[in-house]
Amino acid sequence: MNGISSFEHPNSTVTADGTYKHTTSPIVTGTSVLALKYKDGVMLTADCLASYGSLARFRNVERLHPVGKNTIIGASGDMSDFQHVQNQLNGLMLSEHVTDDDQVLGTKSIYKYLSNIMYNRRSKVNPLWNKFIVAGLEDGESFLGFVDLYGTTYKSPVMATGFGAHIALPILRKYAEARCDTLTEEEAIEILDNCMRVLYYRDARSFNKIQRAKVTASGIEITAPYSLETNWDFAESIIGYGA
Amino acid sequence: MLQHKDGSVQNHQHGWEPYVDNGGTSLAIAGEDFCVIASDTRQSEGYSINTRFDPKIHKITDKIMLATTGYSADAKRLTEVIKMQTERYFYKHEKNMESHAAAQMLSVILYQKRFFPYYVFPILAGIDNEGKGCVYSYDPVGNMERVTFQVYGSASGMIQPFLDSQVGFKNQQNVDKTRLLTKEEAISIAVDSFTAATERDIYTGDYLEIYIVDANGIHREQKPLKFD
Amino acid sequence: MFLTRSEYDRGVNTFSPEGRLFQVEYAIEAIKLGSIAIGIRTNEGVVLGVEKRITSSLLVGSSIEKILEIDTHIGCAMSGLTADSRTIIEHARVEAQNHTFTYEETIPVESLSQSICDLALRFGEGAHGEKSIMSRPFGVSLLVAGVDEKGPQLYYTDPSGSLVMYEAKAIGAGSEGAQVELQQSYYKNITLKEAEVLVLKVLKQVMEEKLKNTNVQLAKVVPKTGYSIYSLGELEEIIARLDEQE
Repeated sequence: MNGISSFEHPNSTVTADGTYKHTTSPIVTGTSVLALKYKDGVMLTADCLASYGSLARFRNVERLHPVGKNTIIGASGDMSDFQHVQNQLNGLMLSEHVTDDDQVLGTKSIYKYLSNIMYNRRSKVNPLWNKFIVAGLEDGESFLGFVDLYGTTYKSPVMATGFGAHIALPILRKYAEARCDTLTEEEAIEILDNCMRVLYYRDARSFNKIQRAKVTASGIEITAPYSLETNWDFAESIIGYGA
Repeated sequence: MLQHKDGSVQNHQHGWEPYVDNGGTSLAIAGEDFCVIASDTRQSEGYSINTRFDPKIHKITDKIMLATTGYSADAKRLTEVIKMQTERYFYKHEKNMESHAAAQMLSVILYQKRFFPYYVFPILAGIDNEGKGCVYSYDPVGNMERVTFQVYGSASGMIQPFLDSQVGFKNQQNVDKTRLLTKEEAISIAVDSFTAATERDIYTGDYLEIYIVDANGIHREQKPLKFD
Repeated sequence: MFLTRSEYDRGVNTFSPEGRLFQVEYAIEAIKLGSIAIGIRTNEGVVLGVEKRITSSLLVGSSIEKILEIDTHIGCAMSGLTADSRTIIEHARVEAQNHTFTYEETIPVESLSQSICDLALRFGEGAHGEKSIMSRPFGVSLLVAGVDEKGPQLYYTDPSGSLVMYEAKAIGAGSEGAQVELQQSYYKNITLKEAEVLVLKVLKQVMEEKLKNTNVQLAKVVPKTGYSIYSLGELEEIIARLDEQE
C-alpha cells in the first residue's frame, strides 16, 4: 500500500499506517498570472515556466487554457493540479457538448463550477494547490473572476496571482483599474507587458517567454510565446557579489 | 520524515490550515420598526487587497438580510445554503419565512458543522413578525442571541465601544437605555463607525454598503470609503 | 367493481388498462369498513368525533384510541385499519417536532397534512434507492384538525395520497349518510358548541349501539389551548345538550 496512489483520491497517497497523506505543498509550480478588463473585453498574461523549486524545470508550458468558445483560465501554483483541473473542465465541456442541446456553458458557469471544485477540495482538507483567474465575455459583458486553494473567490477589473499580486497589481491598479472602459487594446498590451517586464526583473521564478490572451466579441485569441525587451545595463554599475 | 537518534520516525510536515481571514466589518442596528445593516466591501488576504468590491450583505427574504465577516468562501457557501433553504421553505409551506424561523434555522445550520465550522460571524437582521426591527447575532458554531445592535469583523474592536455608547447608552446616567434610535440616527452612526474604522483598520475600506429594511421594503445606499 | 377483477389487482404499483390502481382502491374500501369518524371546522376551532365499538363487555373501552395528538396544535381522527396509522402518526409527529426544532415555530397544518400524504404513496418497492416503508397501501384515512396562523382547518387524507380541505367531513362505515346529514346541518357561522352537538348527533344516527360517553370519543383543537380530548364529564354535558335538543 505504501506510496501507492489511491484510485478514489487521485492526489493522495496511502501511508504505511493506512492513513491518507494529502498534498501539503506544491511541487512543480507556475508563477504569476495577470489580467485586466479593457474596452473590447478581457486580457491576461502569464509566462511559460514551470519551476521545480528554484530550478527552471519546464520552459515551454502553457498556463493560459481555453475552455469553450469565450473563456480562458489562467493558472498559477501546482501544475499537476492544474492539469487535473484541465482534465475535469475538458470532461465537463465534452459532456455538455454531447448533450447536443445548443446550450454552451458561459464564463460565469465555468467560474462557478471551478469555484465549487476548489471549495469542495479545501473542505476535504485536500486542496488543489492553485490560484486561478477565469476570464471571459458573456452577453457582451467582460468577466474576471479569481479562485484559489481555499475556495476564496472575488471579482475585480484588474487582478494578479502570486508574486504579481505584490509587484504587478499596484501597477495595474494605477494604470488600468479606473479606466477599464476606455482602455484600448494597444494600451492594455503595453500595461501588461510592462508588468511582466517588472516581474521578470524582480520575480526569481519568472521567465522571459510569455503568452498573452484576450477574449473579445470575436472570441478567444492566445498569442504564441514571445519575449520582452529587457535592459540589464544597470548590472554594470553594481559593485560586489563577485563582479 | 524526521529520523531521531533513537531510530523513531516523526512525521515532520507543516499542516495546512483550511481557513483564512478575509477581513471586513459588518454591523446592524435595530430600530422600532426598521433595521439598518452596513458592511464595507473590501476583501483582503494578509496585506493584499483582493478586491475593492465584494459585498458581504445578502438579501434572504423581503424582510431579512444576512451580513457576514470572517472567511469569505465559507460566508458565501453559508449564504447560499440559507437562501436555498428559505426558498425551499417558501415552496413547501407557501409562505415567506419569518425572521425568528430564519434565525433558528441559521443556528441549526451552523451547529450542524460544529466540528468543522463555517468560520463566519453572521448577523441576521430585518423586520420580525410584529413589524419590529430585529438583529440576531451568532458565533461560528451557532450560539444565537437576539440583540438591538451588533458589530463583527476586523474593526469590531473599534466600533463596539462606540456602539455601546451611542446605541446602547452604556455607562451613562440619566438616560433611557431602552430607547431605540431613529432611522436618521442609526444611519448616521453606521456611517460614522465605518469612516472612523477605515482610518485605523487596514482590512476595512473601499465602499460602504448600507441597507435599510422597513415596512416599505429594502432600500440600499452605497458610499465611498478610503481606498488606502 | 369486483367483477372487473383481473391480474392487475395483484401488483401494488401496476396500473390496469383502464388506468386504475386496484390495491389503492381496495385500501379505500377498507376504510369504509372502519368505524365512523367525523370532523367539523368552525371559526372557533375544530371538533373531531369517533365511534368506539365496544365489541365485548370485557373490552376496556378507554384502550381504544382513534383520536390522537400530533402536536400541541394538531390532532387527528382515523378510520380503517387503525394499526396502519401508527407509522403515519409517528412520521407526522417527527415532522412536526423537526419543524419546531429548525424554525422555532409550530408547523403549518397544511404542511403537516401534506407530509402525511407524502407517506401514503411510499408503498411497494422503493424507487431510486430510497427505503421502502410499507409493502402495500396504508388502509387508513385521517381527518387532520389543526389551528395555525391561517385559523382552524380540517383536512382529509386517504390511501391514494390526496389531500382535501373540508368544513365538515365523515369517514368510515356509514359515512355517506353522515356526510348528507353534515351537509344539511352545517352552516358557515356554526359555533364550536353547536359543532360538538352536531358531531354527536350524526354519530348517534349512524351508530348501532346507544350513544354513551363511553362509546364515543371527542376532541377539539382551538386557537389558545390547542388540542384536547373531552373528558367523560364534558361528554356527558354535551350528550345532555343533544338530548335537550331532540
